[in-house]
Amino acid sequence: MKGLDEWLEQRARKIARNTSRRTFLARLGGMLAGGAALPLLPVARASAGPDSARVPAPDETIEGPEGDPKSCEYWRHCAIDGSACACCGGSSTTCPPGTEISPVTWIGTCRNPADGKEYLISYNDCCGKTFCGRCICNRNEGERPEYHWYRNNDINWCAGATSQVYNCSIAVVVGQATESQPEK
Amino acid sequence: MVGLLALMLAAFSLAAPLAAEAPREKASVATLPPMGNHSVWVPDRLTQHNLLFDGDSGEVLGMIDSPSLITPKTPLFVRSRNEIYSVDIAHSRGTRGERVDFVSVYDATTLAFKHEIVFPTQSGSSNTSQQYAELIGERFIGVFNQFPNTSVAVIDLVERRFVEEIVTTGCAGVYPIDAHRFAALCGNGTTVAIELDESGSFKQFSRSARFFDVVEDPVAMSAGRTGLRWTFVSFEGQAHTIDYSEGTPVVAASWSLTDEAERSNEWRPGGLQYVAVHGKSGRLFVVMHQGGAGSHKESGPEVWVWDMATQKRVGRFGSPNLTAAFLGSFMGVTEDSFVHDVLNWVLPSGGIHTIAVSQDESPLLFVRNGMLGAIGVLDATTGQSLRTLSEAGLAGPTLRVP
Repeated sequence: MKGLDEWLEQRARKIARNTSRRTFLARLGGMLAGGAALPLLPVARASAGPDSARVPAPDETIEGPEGDPKSCEYWRHCAIDGSACACCGGSSTTCPPGTEISPVTWIGTCRNPADGKEYLISYNDCCGKTFCGRCICNRNEGERPEYHWYRNNDINWCAGATSQVYNCSIAVVVGQATESQPEK
Repeated sequence: MVGLLALMLAAFSLAAPLAAEAPREKASVATLPPMGNHSVWVPDRLTQHNLLFDGDSGEVLGMIDSPSLITPKTPLFVRSRNEIYSVDIAHSRGTRGERVDFVSVYDATTLAFKHEIVFPTQSGSSNTSQQYAELIGERFIGVFNQFPNTSVAVIDLVERRFVEEIVTTGCAGVYPIDAHRFAALCGNGTTVAIELDESGSFKQFSRSARFFDVVEDPVAMSAGRTGLRWTFVSFEGQAHTIDYSEGTPVVAASWSLTDEAERSNEWRPGGLQYVAVHGKSGRLFVVMHQGGAGSHKESGPEVWVWDMATQKRVGRFGSPNLTAAFLGSFMGVTEDSFVHDVLNWVLPSGGIHTIAVSQDESPLLFVRNGMLGAIGVLDATTGQSLRTLSEAGLAGPTLRVP
């Protein structure tokens, strides 16, 4: 019975983890009078520091799924929504062959369990080939609806690429966070 | 040889009268009955179409192809013109080539393609595309664009033309108000009401007071409408109703969907399209689950129901086991069989991501899990599970009652 319980729990967790899905795009635009008071971009905070370009690479010596780029539990995947490119011919930082990297992205802040530091993660979509469909993940730490666009992982970010067809997502460290993200 | 020929002729002469008496069938193409109150559009991400189900019989009535490059937007229906509209995106070579954004217009009886309206903006696409393409009255469609601007493209369905692009920086969505107005949600915690002139061009806009905090407790794009009011629900379970009947949107006092005990047990809204409102009764339906911050897209085991006038909860509906329904249909298992009962018992229910409610006097509540091609049909008054819409594609996050 214990085995059945474990199977059911794993199955339920997998369903919960993988549900919802994917996608993409956006960016700023003109101005509807008054516009919106956009909060300070976390990516702006990252690049604002004088040493941001020299932040050492995060420690990736992590055992188990938190260290596996093919896992939804991978530490960089705290706000991913889509197929992990490591399962699709790419890696956590490279798009699969023949695809195109979206120039605009959404941003997450994830904690690296190896060094305990928070890193800004750019989730670039890889575009131009159809949905990879493998290692489909949906995690939403700090994720926000479309009106808070740079924190939204539903948008088809391939809209900024030549082809708007979504293939998978990478998770690139763009800097070390100077503070925890305010969105929970 | 002559004998064989004679035998064949004799056999033919005997058979011929029988064939003449058999009913003569003629192949034809079906048509749709008038759009019923209990119809529902079921989009599928992989097959890129919307199936139209009859929620009473459980049968498929027809389908609309909806190229989108991701989840198809659900079709829009205008009864007075008996037309169905699909806001589509396509590349000239499938995954590459020139991109075209267009509204496909179909006859709602034959489902035959009538014409298309090409427009020059890039319509947004997302996992759910909720409130991305909506009717403004019966004459216009507002299409939410995300790149390079956040804006709304206005399409005139009568004149069959693109009218103009209205820039809505910092705001998202199209929430219809009346024949010439729609609203949008904004990142600074407000909502704007945008008014069009008679031809569909931008006339003016007005902004509400700030009513939510995007960092602390944002509202979902999923929302419910009662006449000229929209009710938005936050990640933490606050209901915010905005009255758009006046020039400036008026914010009513918010109220909590959960009491202290429920909050301490981490009950909160979640899913992909987790809010629905039945306009005539003023009932609010929300998918609920137990989870912490960041769980706002998780499916829920229950749908809770409130009377918005009294702000009292009037129902807690359990989820049918859609995992069993989905797998059972692939296995050829009927819902009244013992094997189906076993599947129900053994397989954990995936819960509900998405709900939609019909707007008639005997409403149905449609429930789905975004990763399963099976839709549950519940009596929206009692919560009783009535039937399953089976083999409803493979995956999709939304539903729409026409």
